[in-house]
Amino acid sequence: MTGHCGALGPMSSPVASRRFPRWVFGEGSEPDPRFTLANERTFLAWIRTSLALLACGVALEAVALPMQPQLRLAASVLLIVLGLLTPVQAWFAWSRDERAMRQGRPLSAPSLMVPLTVGTTATGLLLLAALLLR
Amino acid sequence: MTDGGRIFDPGLQPERTALAWRRTGLAVAVGAVAGMRVLTPALGAGAVVVGLLGLALATLLVVGSMRRARRVEVALLRDHCLAAGPGGRLVATVCIACTAVGVAALVAVLAAHAAR
Repeated sequence: MTGHCGALGPMSSPVASRRFPRWVFGEGSEPDPRFTLANERTFLAWIRTSLALLACGVALEAVALPMQPQLRLAASVLLIVLGLLTPVQAWFAWSRDERAMRQGRPLSAPSLMVPLTVGTTATGLLLLAALLLR
Repeated sequence: MTDGGRIFDPGLQPERTALAWRRTGLAVAVGAVAGMRVLTPALGAGAVVVGLLGLALATLLVVGSMRRARRVEVALLRDHCLAAGPGGRLVATVCIACTAVGVAALVAVLAAHAAR
């Protein structure tokens, strides 16, 4: 092994410290690379979730489906707000979990699960009401 | 993504990660083209600008992730760990871009509703 694996500590190698952000990669030891890659794919799945939420929110208003306009707008705004929260949480979850893996600590639970479930359910109910009240 | 037929992991984790980046980039590209189509009645030529910005972002994502995948492959085959692998620059860029798209979407939807 010719790399800079293992514990870094205060004598951390310049190669490791160059990785961004410093507060994630500056300490701890390299985890199993498969875990780092899995963390990255989880991040990307959240980003695609965000893109889907944003696309739905914009499409609802852009296509102007025949629905009660106020309720349709509310559903659209709710979808977009959820789509805005998702990338923020994706960044914090990715960096927090990468840091935890480097320090051998347990991973945190995803903090957006409940708001996302409640939010998408509320969107469904709003759209149902918008269809019935048009 | 093999180097002379060598692979790091029989579970093909680096390859799966590269594909995840690529389908995220493709999702952005599809969204940009669909957005251009859907927004044309409202924005006219502005929709083309939105579409081209989206396609530029998709290109950045796909090209950036290919370089990233190459770096991952080199680090893994040489060191068997990612100490010399990529950090979170592209990750942060994607987050910022996604948030910016979201803010633009929110402003656009509210403005369109107010104008009606």
